[in-house]
Amino acid sequence: MATAEYDDVRIDDVQELEREIASQRDANVPIEMETRDISVWFAKRKVLEGVSIAFPKQSVTALIGPSGCGKSTFIRTLNRLHELIPGAALAGEVLYEGSDIYAPEVDPVHIRLKIGMVFQKPNPFPSMTIRGNVLSGLKLSGMKRSNHDDIVEQTLTSAGLWNEVKDRLNAAAGDLSGGQQQRLVIARALAVNPHVLLMDEPCSALDPGSTLKIEETIRELSKEITIIIVTHNMQQAVRVADNTAFFLATDGNPGHVVEQGPTTEIFGNPRDQRTLDYVNGRFG
Amino acid sequence: MSTTQVFDESRVASLAEQRPQAPWGTRTASFRTIVILAVFIPAAIVTGLWWYTDIAKPVLMVAGYLPLQLAAAIVAAVALRGKKSAFDAVIIVLAIGATVFSLVVLVSVLWSIVTKGLEAMSTAFLFQNNEYISPSTPLGYGGVGHAVVGTVVIVGISALIAVPLGVMTAIYITEVRGRAVPYVRFFVQAMSGVPSVVAGLFILTVLILSGALNQSAFAAGLAYAILMLPTVARTAEEVLRLVPEELRTGALALGSTRAKTVLRVVVPAAKTGIITAAILGVARVVGETAPLLLTALKNDKTVLNPFAEPISALPTYIFDNVAQPYPDAVIRAWGAALTLMIIVAILFTLTRLFSSRGPSK
Repeated sequence: MATAEYDDVRIDDVQELEREIASQRDANVPIEMETRDISVWFAKRKVLEGVSIAFPKQSVTALIGPSGCGKSTFIRTLNRLHELIPGAALAGEVLYEGSDIYAPEVDPVHIRLKIGMVFQKPNPFPSMTIRGNVLSGLKLSGMKRSNHDDIVEQTLTSAGLWNEVKDRLNAAAGDLSGGQQQRLVIARALAVNPHVLLMDEPCSALDPGSTLKIEETIRELSKEITIIIVTHNMQQAVRVADNTAFFLATDGNPGHVVEQGPTTEIFGNPRDQRTLDYVNGRFG
Repeated sequence: MSTTQVFDESRVASLAEQRPQAPWGTRTASFRTIVILAVFIPAAIVTGLWWYTDIAKPVLMVAGYLPLQLAAAIVAAVALRGKKSAFDAVIIVLAIGATVFSLVVLVSVLWSIVTKGLEAMSTAFLFQNNEYISPSTPLGYGGVGHAVVGTVVIVGISALIAVPLGVMTAIYITEVRGRAVPYVRFFVQAMSGVPSVVAGLFILTVLILSGALNQSAFAAGLAYAILMLPTVARTAEEVLRLVPEELRTGALALGSTRAKTVLRVVVPAAKTGIITAAILGVARVVGETAPLLLTALKNDKTVLNPFAEPISALPTYIFDNVAQPYPDAVIRAWGAALTLMIIVAILFTLTRLFSSRGPSK
């Protein structure tokens, strides 16, 4: 059994290895985003503690872990959506291109424009057409981009939806199926040219076919942009992610990152017993 | 299933023969008999009492027919489905009874307005005003044209003021979410209990007696706006609250400012509901009489200038005519009531038509 040999691994060794991995990564790929000791509170309850993750440029990072461990909360700190919740608090730093997005002079609107997001539940704007939804980011952010037709075609193609909707771009967005709506909101997020795309369980409400399409889209997009994806589906993490971070919260304690590193290591050769148990489906 | 089974393609032809049926709708003969008996026996008894006794008709229906029908339904339910369904029968009979009762009340009000109102109705009645007409003038001369114009002008002014204010208040409560929200909500709720005559008195003492305004359409519109505002604000608040939070975060995640999120995403998503809020606001005030008596008085001429002089509206026209000792004047009041109802009906239909249009243009 592989489990036995990791029982003896000491925490120091793990941390040393992590540093090693991180330094290798630093040497090869520039870092697009990085969190330093992020801790999060809702009112007085601390839900997340000391999360430090680096997201290399043009990579896909999966955040995995059981429900309630703070993955979704964490991802919402990365584009400053967390602060919209009454009673929210935060400590630590989130660096985007080397500077803290929570610095007092930073306008969250600019941050959200660079760091797009796709949510768990498809949320197309019901009052707009399919085309209107794709272009809504431009209108809402006041961004000027010419040739709207090209943007619509390009982003819908990247999101794998163009062929299904090209003949009915002026139909109501609400007429699309759930999977199509999710790909529509991905296209909408891409239309404002984000550098980072956050995805909070984008496939949790979708059938296997739509999931596969979105995973292809993610692989394709990662050639251009940095993607951070929360997922409950471990096969999905293996299929799409270069790196994986495993979150865990136990017995009402705040969640933290138990282990992080290249996806192949986390799934094939985890250093922590709890990671091993989780990726093998023994809890969670 | 211990072995794998595969669909037998040769059955397609025979399956094509299948016809849609509703097996749950098929009833046995005894079931039908019992249901028919449970409906007809009480009805027959009550019909007999209706014709051959002197029991007052409403008393007969409430104290005779309802208990009889309840008992028959319970007996039938127990006979058909056992003791447990007796309660079902009671609820169903009471629900149908309550619905029929309210429909009877509404339809009889409607019926008396339509039958009596139609006696007055003519093109002259709809389009002429009340100049040179006395209460004893026969029908066929004079009409409610001036009052229709008055109602439209006064309600229009109040809607222009109250709808934007009410929607903005709702936006403050649900979207801005400032510190004063609990107080604003409490105040709006308290305002919806203001009696209409108080709104009229307020405008009279503060704006008219002080000399700032004449008794006019504008003054009346302000009084109506006071009454309309809480209805619009509370209904708009309810519909804005129904807009899913995901749409707001979705817009913000696209780099939208809060103002654009509200104006381009939240309000359009709640468009139908906001139009409904405006209609309910108009419906709240359109028949109010007391504020008009204090702020608009009456006028037999057609008045278009909302600031210049007193003005009549349909409620005040009804109020003036219904108290006259001349039968034709009373008929005119019924005609005005019918006109008011038609105006409200047209308004409701129009807004339904506009609000049912989807996003595609």
